[in-house]
Amino acid sequence: MKDITLVVENAVKTYGGVTALADGNLAVRSGEVTALLGANGSGKSTLSKILTGVVSPNSGRVLIDGAPVFFRSPVEARRMGISAVYQELSLIPDLTVAENIWLGHEPLRAGFMNHGEMKARTQSLLDLFSGMLKPNLTPDALITSLSPDERQIVEILKALSYDPRLIILDEATASLDSQQVNRLFELIGDWKTGGMAIVFVSHRMEEIFRIADKASVLRNGRTVGERTISETNERELVDLMIEGANALLRERAAVVPVDAPIRLDVQELRTAVLRGVSLQVRDGELLGLGGLQGQGQSDLLMALFGAIRYSGQIVLSGMPRQFKHPKQAMRSDVALVPGDRGTEGLLAIRSILENLILPSWDRYGVPLKMQKARADGTQIAAELKMVMASLHAPVSSLSGGNAQKVVIGKWLLRSPKLLLLNDPTKGIDVGAKAEFYHLLTQLRDAGTAILFYSSDDDELLGLCDRVLVLHDGEVSAELTGNTLMRENLVAASMGAAS
Amino acid sequence: MNGRLSRTFSRNPFVFSLILFLVLVVINRALQDNMFELGPLNGNLRVFIPAIFLAVGQTFVIIAGGVDLSVGAMVSMTSAILATQIPQEATADVFLRALLLAFGAGALAGTLNGFGVTVLRLQPIVTTYATSFIFAGIALAILPEPGGRLPRDITSFWRNPLQVTTEIGIPIGLIVITLLVLFWIIIANTRYKQFLFATGGKAEAAYTTGIRVNRVKFTTYLFSALFATLAGMAIVFGTGTGNPRAGEQMTLLSVVAVVIGGTRLSGGQGNIIGSIIGALILGIIGNVLSFANLDSWVRPLIDALIIIIALAIPGLISLGRRMWKP
Amino acid sequence: MSASTIPTSTNGRLSAVRRLPPPLAALLLAIALFLIGGILAPGFANSTQAINIIRLAAFLGIIAAGQTLVIISGGEGIDLSAGAVVTLGAILTYRVTDGSDAMILPALLFVLMVGAGIGLVNGVGISLLKMPPLVMTLGMAGVVTGLIYFVTRGELIGDTPPAMGRLLSQALIGPVPGVIVLWLIFGVGMWLLLERTTFGKHLFAIGINRTAARLSGVRVTRTVTLTYVLSGALAAFGGFVLLGFTQTVFLNLGQPFLFPSIAAVVVGGTVLAGGKGSYWGTMAGALVLQVIDSLLGALQVEEAYQLMILGGILLLLLTMYGRQRSVRQ
Repeated sequence: MKDITLVVENAVKTYGGVTALADGNLAVRSGEVTALLGANGSGKSTLSKILTGVVSPNSGRVLIDGAPVFFRSPVEARRMGISAVYQELSLIPDLTVAENIWLGHEPLRAGFMNHGEMKARTQSLLDLFSGMLKPNLTPDALITSLSPDERQIVEILKALSYDPRLIILDEATASLDSQQVNRLFELIGDWKTGGMAIVFVSHRMEEIFRIADKASVLRNGRTVGERTISETNERELVDLMIEGANALLRERAAVVPVDAPIRLDVQELRTAVLRGVSLQVRDGELLGLGGLQGQGQSDLLMALFGAIRYSGQIVLSGMPRQFKHPKQAMRSDVALVPGDRGTEGLLAIRSILENLILPSWDRYGVPLKMQKARADGTQIAAELKMVMASLHAPVSSLSGGNAQKVVIGKWLLRSPKLLLLNDPTKGIDVGAKAEFYHLLTQLRDAGTAILFYSSDDDELLGLCDRVLVLHDGEVSAELTGNTLMRENLVAASMGAAS
Repeated sequence: MNGRLSRTFSRNPFVFSLILFLVLVVINRALQDNMFELGPLNGNLRVFIPAIFLAVGQTFVIIAGGVDLSVGAMVSMTSAILATQIPQEATADVFLRALLLAFGAGALAGTLNGFGVTVLRLQPIVTTYATSFIFAGIALAILPEPGGRLPRDITSFWRNPLQVTTEIGIPIGLIVITLLVLFWIIIANTRYKQFLFATGGKAEAAYTTGIRVNRVKFTTYLFSALFATLAGMAIVFGTGTGNPRAGEQMTLLSVVAVVIGGTRLSGGQGNIIGSIIGALILGIIGNVLSFANLDSWVRPLIDALIIIIALAIPGLISLGRRMWKP
Repeated sequence: MSASTIPTSTNGRLSAVRRLPPPLAALLLAIALFLIGGILAPGFANSTQAINIIRLAAFLGIIAAGQTLVIISGGEGIDLSAGAVVTLGAILTYRVTDGSDAMILPALLFVLMVGAGIGLVNGVGISLLKMPPLVMTLGMAGVVTGLIYFVTRGELIGDTPPAMGRLLSQALIGPVPGVIVLWLIFGVGMWLLLERTTFGKHLFAIGINRTAARLSGVRVTRTVTLTYVLSGALAAFGGFVLLGFTQTVFLNLGQPFLFPSIAAVVVGGTVLAGGKGSYWGTMAGALVLQVIDSLLGALQVEEAYQLMILGGILLLLLTMYGRQRSVRQ
């Protein structure tokens, strides 16, 4: 295998007005594993997408073996020998393992697919993981019949099938069990010897220290440092990830009265991602959920709102509940501000008023009393200080902060007793965030129980008295009082010891 | 259901329909003694051929995630073209010219559909519904009333079994089915089949892998038009005359045959063989019902109920699965 | 403290035209086509013809009401059984009233229930069995037609109550036929349904984004089912009303209205993907289509070319209104 060096210099990527990457740098060499680390919003995934050609930078350069390259698509990146493994998003469900691995570059014989060759090559790829796989993982198995860890392995083998010079493993170990991870790391060792360059993007500190030679840390869209693993430790990397982060002045929580009624009591909640989470929230408490994205926070909130299936016990206001539909949760005075404003929270082409009243139209009689609806809408808009042309303007015309006010406004109109928030300040400017925090503390002080997931550690530290950090579907730490510190938060997010 | 059995079913979804087909054959044979004699067999298969062609063409479109509701109208158009272009005393070159004309018209029709769906990015259902009116109009414009008479040579060739020797004959329909099966075996071994499955299964993933999704979809509409033209030819050769409304009821049947055959309407999987079996099933049901001597005022209802039930079965199965899972 | 208001800027006149609400644009189109028709076919553009066109458009418009609802509901919503249900509604009215004015009301109730029942089957198949609306309603169209054959055995007995013809088909208020008045009242009713009921609000929501709707408490399955129930009932009502015009029934009565009903909805600005539209638009769309249809009749264009033109117009409209996102995003 030819040696390769890939260098990313000062890459910048903006989407609309948002800067996802301000100054991305990376140097990857043959025979080395370079880990890419960063907290939420650090630009880690954007940099990874630039490497694989999914996204092209607005400015900056990508150099392969010293020569600048431009990838217009992932296909071009692959042709240059760069292959990526994501989390099983790219498999075709009704094709077999072999067909998926070789899709687009199937071995041919006289124009026809060479099934024998395909099967043989697939089997030799599968053999790399021999002993780690259940017997059903054969070249002819359909993807739909595979479990998540098996699909992940197929993704890895698919990337390998292109015989890459550089492979990017982006959270590729998330679905694998420990034995499979061990085998993968053995393989990585072989690849290194063979001259491959490897980029390892992960949120698991322990794995990074096992496999990587170098670590490159991103923070707030910038590459802030590169360290040699053998010469550093977990604490130093964590510090790089958080050092000097913006600390907005925030309102500290008042002490929660210990005898406030327990509004929500969850026991052993399980979903596809959650592996048994238990917690309690009292009236007037702002409980935070922390951790990196995808660790089960969304699932937890959606399950509590009746939006997804779950197993486990939920006791709300002292009564055991089983919500099978959000409407049922709403009747028990639960409200959810969902994670993706655009696809889950708002009807973009409808007016602000329509969005505000959508959950509540059945309270306005038949025919609907529009005047009352307008009055209620005006009132909540004033309370939230929404900046808008009129109640009848489409919600798509609002800025991010104001759109989020609509999402929360539609729930506040119903005076919920339990308010669930799924990363509500994503993509909102600083001023709107401050207003939002003020609103939350007001609600808390008025006695609302609030369960609040944020990918922004500053928010959690500033607003909450108690934070549960989720990692790999479980609570990895409960931080409160003295232990509610940034280092512990980040460390628990990475599964590292605090 | 244990693993191996369920894997057989999922990898080859037409297994279920094959079983149904065999059951129906048995029933048919019970009602019709001479079913397997060359004459009746040939006649039966000949009648089934147009539906089989349509089902085959429709399968391509559906696998890739679309649907073609204009196939019936394309059949009508072909019928009109052939009836007017092949006079009773036609010579071979006139005949061939007419065939080419029909194929040409079909190609244009398929191009219109493909263009609308891939270039203009219109929704397949309503688009092909709209083009079906255009093609139906063209058919009526060319041939306002049923008519035309084809040369005896053609009709007798098509209607009679192929005589290998004076004793042994092969039904034409059987030859066609065999050719279609061979056709599928060839296609299924090319990259094209993978592209079809990927385009219908997960278009974004297919695109990232470098598959030209739009091009693949376009070809499926060309295939559909090709087979609709062949279906029209089969009808005209069989009846010996043209009918500008020949295909009116056939569109829905083509979709039903595909669904019975095990291909999902949402796309991403499927195969021709299942659709052929599906078309055969529909044909045999028609036979069985006519033996049941139902009067002509009950038949349409029974036919429609059978169709609806056939279409509902995949949904009922997955509903059952959803309720079974804890 | 009140919410601050940002003054909107006023753009040039061209954008004002582009920002015409689609129903208004369609209405202007209908008028324009009517006047053009007067040029192409001298004697076409007079008041009698206008009233006739509006009268015929009223029937199409009422039939297209249900179609409007299912298309707004999104999820590739469409009701291809509407034509058959129209026929069924007319035939049932014909038979149940048997020419008796006293039986008009009972017949209407009966017909509405039957239509709703058919719609319920559609709704259950679509929302519970997850069958694509195209396939489900197309299949049901066959079932309904089969039912008609089975029940009537080809003998269409009965009679039209004279009151229906009087009230609907003939002039009622001045020169204006009753059906036009009915249509206007009906239009107001549809507007109330879409804009002033919880169902209407939920309907638009599920048409735009079923996930967001569900997370706002909308019962998506129930709303979808109810939409098809209403569509069936409205199509049956359309058949009931149509009888007042045709005065007789035949087995293919409703089918010619199916395609135009879809076209009317699209012309009126209702988006095929769902979530946006109005019945006013469908009314204007029905006018446009009827003007074209009457004009083609006046020009004595054969059926063949009428079909081609209809198909072509729908394609044109789809190209202007109905394009989807590309794979590349």
